[in-house]
Amino acid sequence: MSEVTLNGIKKSFGSNLIVKGVDLQVGQGEFLVMVGPSGCGKTTLLRLIAGLEQVDAGEVRIGGARVNDVPPRDRDVAMVFQSYALYPHMTVRENLAFGLTLRKFPQAEIASRVDEVAAMLELGHLLERKPKALSGGQRQRVAMGRAIVRRPKVFLFDEPLSNLDTALRVQMRGELARLHRRLGATMIYVTHDQVEAMTLATRVAVFNAGVLQQVGPPLELYNRPANRFVAGFLGSPAMNFLEARRDGANLVGKGFTLLSPADLSPGAANVLVGLRPQDLRVAALGPLAGTVDAVERLGFDGYAFVNTESGPVAARFDKGTQVSVGDKVFLAPMADALHVFTEDGSVALRHPVERESLEVAS
Amino acid sequence: MNRLVALVLLAMAWSAHAAEAQPEPLKLWHAYRGGEEAALLQATTLFTEKTGVRVDMLALPYDAYAAKLTNAIPHGAGPDVFIFNHERLRNFQGQNLLAPTTGTLVRADYFANTVAALEVDGQVYGYPMSLKSLALYVNTKLVPRPPTTTAELLALLPTLSNPAEGRFGLAYESGDFYFHAPFLFGFDGPLFDATGRASFDTPGMARSLAFVKKLQDERMMPQEVSGALVKTLFNDGRVAMTISGPWFAGEIAPSVRYRVVALPTVSETGTPMKPFLGVEAAFVSSRSEQSARAHELARFLSLGESSRVRTTVGRQIPANVAAYQFQEVKDDTLISSFREAAKDATPMPNTLEMARVWEPMKLTLRAVLQGGTRPEDAGALADRRYRALHRERPPEASPMPWLTLAGVMALGGGTAWVLRRPAQSQTFRQRYPDVSRAVTYVAPAAAGLLVLVFIPFAVGLTLSLFHHDAGQYTFVGLANFVDILASRGYSITEPLSFYFTLAVTLLWAVVNVVLHVSIGLGLALILKDPLLKMRGVYRVLLIIPWAVPNYITALMWKGMFHRQFGAINGLLVALDLEPVSWFTRFSTAFAANVATNTWLGFPFMMVVALGALQSIPPELYEAAEVDGASKWTQFRRITLPLLKPAMLPAVILGSVWTFNMFNIIYLVSGGEPGGATDILVSEAFRWAFQRNEQYGFAAAYSVLIFVVLMGWSVFTRRLMKPEEAS
Ligand SMILES: Nc1ncnc2c1ncn2[C@@H]1O[C@H](COP(=O)(O)OP(=O)(O)OP(=O)(O)O)[C@@H](O)[C@H]1O
Ligand SMILES: [Mg+2]
Repeated sequence: MSEVTLNGIKKSFGSNLIVKGVDLQVGQGEFLVMVGPSGCGKTTLLRLIAGLEQVDAGEVRIGGARVNDVPPRDRDVAMVFQSYALYPHMTVRENLAFGLTLRKFPQAEIASRVDEVAAMLELGHLLERKPKALSGGQRQRVAMGRAIVRRPKVFLFDEPLSNLDTALRVQMRGELARLHRRLGATMIYVTHDQVEAMTLATRVAVFNAGVLQQVGPPLELYNRPANRFVAGFLGSPAMNFLEARRDGANLVGKGFTLLSPADLSPGAANVLVGLRPQDLRVAALGPLAGTVDAVERLGFDGYAFVNTESGPVAARFDKGTQVSVGDKVFLAPMADALHVFTEDGSVALRHPVERESLEVAS
Repeated sequence: MNRLVALVLLAMAWSAHAAEAQPEPLKLWHAYRGGEEAALLQATTLFTEKTGVRVDMLALPYDAYAAKLTNAIPHGAGPDVFIFNHERLRNFQGQNLLAPTTGTLVRADYFANTVAALEVDGQVYGYPMSLKSLALYVNTKLVPRPPTTTAELLALLPTLSNPAEGRFGLAYESGDFYFHAPFLFGFDGPLFDATGRASFDTPGMARSLAFVKKLQDERMMPQEVSGALVKTLFNDGRVAMTISGPWFAGEIAPSVRYRVVALPTVSETGTPMKPFLGVEAAFVSSRSEQSARAHELARFLSLGESSRVRTTVGRQIPANVAAYQFQEVKDDTLISSFREAAKDATPMPNTLEMARVWEPMKLTLRAVLQGGTRPEDAGALADRRYRALHRERPPEASPMPWLTLAGVMALGGGTAWVLRRPAQSQTFRQRYPDVSRAVTYVAPAAAGLLVLVFIPFAVGLTLSLFHHDAGQYTFVGLANFVDILASRGYSITEPLSFYFTLAVTLLWAVVNVVLHVSIGLGLALILKDPLLKMRGVYRVLLIIPWAVPNYITALMWKGMFHRQFGAINGLLVALDLEPVSWFTRFSTAFAANVATNTWLGFPFMMVVALGALQSIPPELYEAAEVDGASKWTQFRRITLPLLKPAMLPAVILGSVWTFNMFNIIYLVSGGEPGGATDILVSEAFRWAFQRNEQYGFAAAYSVLIFVVLMGWSVFTRRLMKPEEAS
């Protein structure tokens, strides 16, 4: 059993509280992706799980056992460091074999595992080199190889693909997914890349400033963000937020009036309306109006960035639509596209009913 | 204003005139201090008053005095008159530094044995000023009637000794041959045979050593006595009698009542114990330009009023017979007692052979009194040492084959270079248009290298092919090397042999480097710990040993290892442990050297290690920790390999430094016991400057040291190659 459980984890450096009470359960064999803005404490959380830092409060459990006082080497976790941390005086082969040698594996077993990993990561021709003679991407793959070769209970990845080119990243992504399926190990994975998060994760955890905002399957987070932060963090371009006021059956803001969704429960007068750019179209007529500030064409369609009375809003336009900077345009939401949050954005009040397809632009 | 200028000009003219009229002042060199210096100053003032001739006095440090004289006088830069003891006489005379006193010295003015001491081949050089010899100091409260024979002495001593209370009948510097000589002569032991060669293996030697050994074994005399110990014990009344010279009178506490008497007569032989007589004389330089005046000064210093002043102010024992007519001198019992005691004294021979006696005798006395050597066997030991130290001159070789060989090699090399040189289509100037500028840049450094490295190296190399004896160089080819490498004259397990010393040197280097690196690394690991408070303070403190000049540290440690007064033995005693006589056994003497050098050596390794440690990224340890490495494995598999590139050059450097760490060996153990802890460099130094100036032999040692270090450097370059490649 190798589920990872975090109960009320707190961690500060000096007087700075960096991790502010995180509760999180990562099930056996799950692929959990952690996302969040830079400096929000993702690496710190990984290091706490690995045992490289001591928690100030709370409890870390791996496989059901409390490991707060267990040293890293006895936690059976493998970590891929953001800075690789390859051993500069060892060849790639020695780097890969290091953990196995320390655990007294037979020579033959070590050799076969190293070769297998080298083949998988396309490192075969580099085995006799020292890290100094590798490119950034090659080093990153060695760092991953060093973790994989050990087949630990829990993998901790800290942005392992950030230095790879697009093609290699796509390939590695596939490899990782396959690896996960094959080993069935628990993986905790930090990334800034939303595509990675969406494609690899069984669940995604969104952090902000040391607080877990929401955790759940990628689509759930995308479709039903728990608060304004999650809603704005996932999806590109980011969701548009418009301040509005309830007015009978309508939601009224500066320069627009939208029909209030029927399932919106009654409550405070002021709300925040969220509209994904994908759900907003440049159209001949619509409830929102403004001037085009910038245009991003992505082939068959694109996004227009429009200055409205309620602030800048991004909206999608179809291939046939002519949009150019300076045009006065109207914007029309798709049917049932409205997310509604409390005025301060801390709680979501409703989400659109789930649709079949999902579009995420990277 | 004008008048002032005129006055100044006038004064200058007058003083110039005066200088012209007056004779050049006489230059007088000496090595006196304190009362003796004051007395000499008074005496020269008297001389100037009497003759109008001024005297410029220059006091030199005793250690450098002889060398200064032998260097300055031949170049006309020396003194007109200088004061020295007579032991060096033959040496100075051999180098023609001295003017004979024929015609000016009146033998009857001085005690006969003092004039005899200054004779070489029938000529007298120098005017005897004072004499120094040994006598018996007796505490009159403890010993009302001083012994006159050894039988009386032996009867008296047990009543005065009580080792349990730390009281002894007699104490003197028994390890020093100068103090043992009276015993040797009292037992009728000659020091030189009929041919004038030093002889040690004699019945007299054996009996004198046995006598002294008996005194020590029966606890009538303490062990390992130094001058300082004698002073303490005598002043405390814990020692009733001591043997010492006139200088000791000044060290006796005012409360102690004492007398000075002649040394007793040896009852078995009926011969008085005759001490060595040292004569201090005023010598006239052979290069003095005012020879007549210089003789006048020298003679004046040795006679009459000067004698009186030197006696009363300088506490010297005058050699001038008439001096004892002065009332003050007559009344001074100390002076007259010493005069009495010195009557029987043997003038210390001024021969080269005498200079060769000291080291073998020192070894012998130690072997008998501190080691287990039997007195009968000691003479043979000294004899072997003597023969080892004073090698016969190897047969003279002709330098022709060597010169021819060198010529042929130079010619062959030159020809080969010209022939092998690839044909150049351009002239030298065309290829190197900036050559003159380049030469100007390189020249200062090249000149420095030439003067400081290449020339001394070539001179040393050449010197190693010569034998040196009293200023005479003889070409002997490779004989020095053959003697060293064949260990001629002593077995390879003796401290004098090259192989023994080489083994000690290697052990020394290895032990030191291991300790320096491990302590330095250990401290660096501690200092690196970010949790350690006041790291900066510790760092500075730990670098201090490195910042203090190493000879000062060496002298401090030498003091701490002192048997009686050292802090280390003090600590042992405080812990109820036996104090250790550090420099009488190889193991402890070696350990003392190592401790001192480790104190000096670890900060360098610590600094290098600290720098290297700080450049290891901390994530490597985290990665290793996650990979399953314990702290020890991390140290072995991460820290050590990553330290290697920085530590290896430091270790190589440190090993070479240690290999040639002369200061510590020379100052701390001084090679004790018996030269066993000497390393190659200090041994080379001794051959050159302490063993009959065998410069050629010492140079051959140096060449061998060079060869060893050259081999080491080639080897270490190999070691470094893989590091550089990666
Ligand atoms: N050892 C430390 N001492 C003090 N502050 C630290 C330490 N380690 C991390 N921090 C601080 O904790 C916060 C979180 O750091 P962390 O490395 O966990 O961020 P992250 O989410 O991984 O960011 P990124 O996405 O940029 O890697 C940062 O503000 C950082 O400055
Ligand atoms: Mg990070």
